Amino acid sequence: MVKTNEINAGDILLELEDIHMYFGKVAALAGVSLQVRKGEIHSVIGPNGAGKTVMMNCINGLYRPQRGNIHYRGQRINDIKPYQRAELGMSRTFQKVEVFGGMTVLDNIRLGRHIHFKSGIASGSWYLGKTKREEIKHRTFIEEEIIDLLEIEHIRHTPTGMLPYGLQKRVELGRALALEPELLILDEPLAGLNLEEVEDMARFILDVNEEERWKVTCLLVEHDMGVVMDLSHRVFVLNFGYMIMDGTPEEAQINPEVIKAYLGEEDLYATRG
Amino acid sequence: MSTTWLPCGTYHQSYVKDHGWWQTSFVYGKMTLLVIVLFIIIPVFCGDYLLSIAYKIGYTILAALGVQLLIGYCGQITLGHAAFVAVGSYTSAMLILYVPWPNFLFSAGLVYPISMIAAGFAAGLWSVLFGLPSARVKGFYLIMTTMAAQWITVPLVITQYVSRIGGRGHYFSLPPGTISIGPWAIDSDRKIYYLMIVLVCLCLLAMANLLRSRVGRAWIAIRDNDIAAETLGVNIVWYKLVAFFVAGFIAGIAGSFWISALYFVSPEHFEFFYSLWWVGVILIGGVGSLHGVVFGAMFMVLVEEILRNGLVAMGGWMPELMLVGKFDYFRDSAFGLAIILFLIYEPNGISYRYWQIKNYFNLWPFSY
Ligand SMILES: Nc1ncnc2c1ncn2[C@@H]1O[C@H](COP(=O)(O)OP(=O)(O)O)[C@@H](O)[C@H]1O
Ligand SMILES: [Mg+2]
Repeated sequence: MVKTNEINAGDILLELEDIHMYFGKVAALAGVSLQVRKGEIHSVIGPNGAGKTVMMNCINGLYRPQRGNIHYRGQRINDIKPYQRAELGMSRTFQKVEVFGGMTVLDNIRLGRHIHFKSGIASGSWYLGKTKREEIKHRTFIEEEIIDLLEIEHIRHTPTGMLPYGLQKRVELGRALALEPELLILDEPLAGLNLEEVEDMARFILDVNEEERWKVTCLLVEHDMGVVMDLSHRVFVLNFGYMIMDGTPEEAQINPEVIKAYLGEEDLYATRG
Repeated sequence: MSTTWLPCGTYHQSYVKDHGWWQTSFVYGKMTLLVIVLFIIIPVFCGDYLLSIAYKIGYTILAALGVQLLIGYCGQITLGHAAFVAVGSYTSAMLILYVPWPNFLFSAGLVYPISMIAAGFAAGLWSVLFGLPSARVKGFYLIMTTMAAQWITVPLVITQYVSRIGGRGHYFSLPPGTISIGPWAIDSDRKIYYLMIVLVCLCLLAMANLLRSRVGRAWIAIRDNDIAAETLGVNIVWYKLVAFFVAGFIAGIAGSFWISALYFVSPEHFEFFYSLWWVGVILIGGVGSLHGVVFGAMFMVLVEEILRNGLVAMGGWMPELMLVGKFDYFRDSAFGLAIILFLIYEPNGISYRYWQIKNYFNLWPFSY
């Protein structure tokens, strides 16, 4: 791996090294390398079926790549289970919303804070002392930091499965944020939203990335290049398992290979905003 | 699950209040009334027959509670719950009969309570053993492994080996006076009722509390979407096993309670039929609801009683109905039919109806 001198190793939060992921004989990822630095919004774009979701699943631990290394904060995490990666400060949303439909919005977000809760069966059964204190403490956090930020006060007691798609996506983001992640993986957070919802969602992403309170590093998957250009610090272009380029959004826009990969895709530069 | 619906026009000033069980004076009054009815009115004014029906309902609640936890809250379908109730009963009975307890423990009435807690742990661990496959398999295959729990535990281990201990033939009978709690020997329907109502209230309260804290949320998350739960830091294998443990623990308590009502234990009290029966309880009462367990148990036991009495009344004209075993056919077909009708016409169970009616009154005077 060639590393440029300008990247300070300590700044790298996540590093993929030559990741190979096969399904049978099909290579979904064929030697992908990526470095995500602390504090940036790093986008991964590429046409449908390029392997973006597979890449996120590898980072997150749902898939285990057959070859290559994944380092998080300098630690090799290939053999670590998804729930342990969450404990390390990784959190994500899904391309198709994966909320807990039978739970209220508040409970969805509470579950996002699972790793910060401590009580077990014994104290949980009686809801006294420790359990009650922590429930109140986290409720305060959720109300003030998440519900307020995402403007979902009015639906906090609604079962999430009954909400429209756009709000479910928002709840899913809230749930991922409740973990207070260091790295937030967003798999097509804008897909399927209407114009107004896209603007809101983009604003939330910028907020949690920029606000001193959050400073979350984001790995953002988007199918649509237009929106990505405004948000990201760096863009990684994936095309059927291969990296085409990794650079600034400006570089991506003029890269001939990127343009070729997208050739025939009409919505290349069609911004929705 | 604090989906608390306040009556129209009532709001909370703090989160602490929003986390309480009895949030308004109206609910407070309603619950106080319920406590008075359950702890004073019923035991004082009901005769032995009604009390025996009441504690049968209580036993059904305790037994079905674990089924509700596994199926309704954790999404782990189980068809072997009678095995864990059986382990509870037998653990409790054998601890009472075969352990040379020091005399003061007997005279202080501590042996039965100790055996009950031990029964909870034994059944809980036994349940975890059969829950281990849930780490790997889901759905249909898990049903098969929980059924294996039934077949291995009751017809094999208990009937063939455990029942032979002591050479008492097929069942263990518990001499009068061995089942006592502190100064009270549990020797009348009224005392059994009191023991039942205390246990049911404790178990329901503990379960309701668990469901609104860390562990219960993890269970419900696994039920709704196990992959998302895992990516948010829930160790799903661990929490499934905890669910099996807690469900087994409550089954053990139920089994241990039941020997106080039976005074003897035999394998036929824990046949496969009961595993199905308790699943029927939650299907009819409502899957994923604690109210559902209570309503379902009331429905099943009361309808069974009505059927029995009706059949006895009809036996006057049709003596062939009174043949041994005939009742079981009637009961089984009636419940088969009831479950089918519920699945078609009220798939959310009785508890959903109850919730709708309650909401109607909470939103009153506005209908929307
Ligand atoms: N679990 C799986 N089993 C087999 N093939 C898969 C699986 N997941 C993804 N793939 C394949 O990997 C490729 C990349 O898919 P994906 O990452 O979902 O694309 P996208 O970039 O649109 O998110 C697709 O060809 C898909 O069929
Ligand atoms: Mg995808």
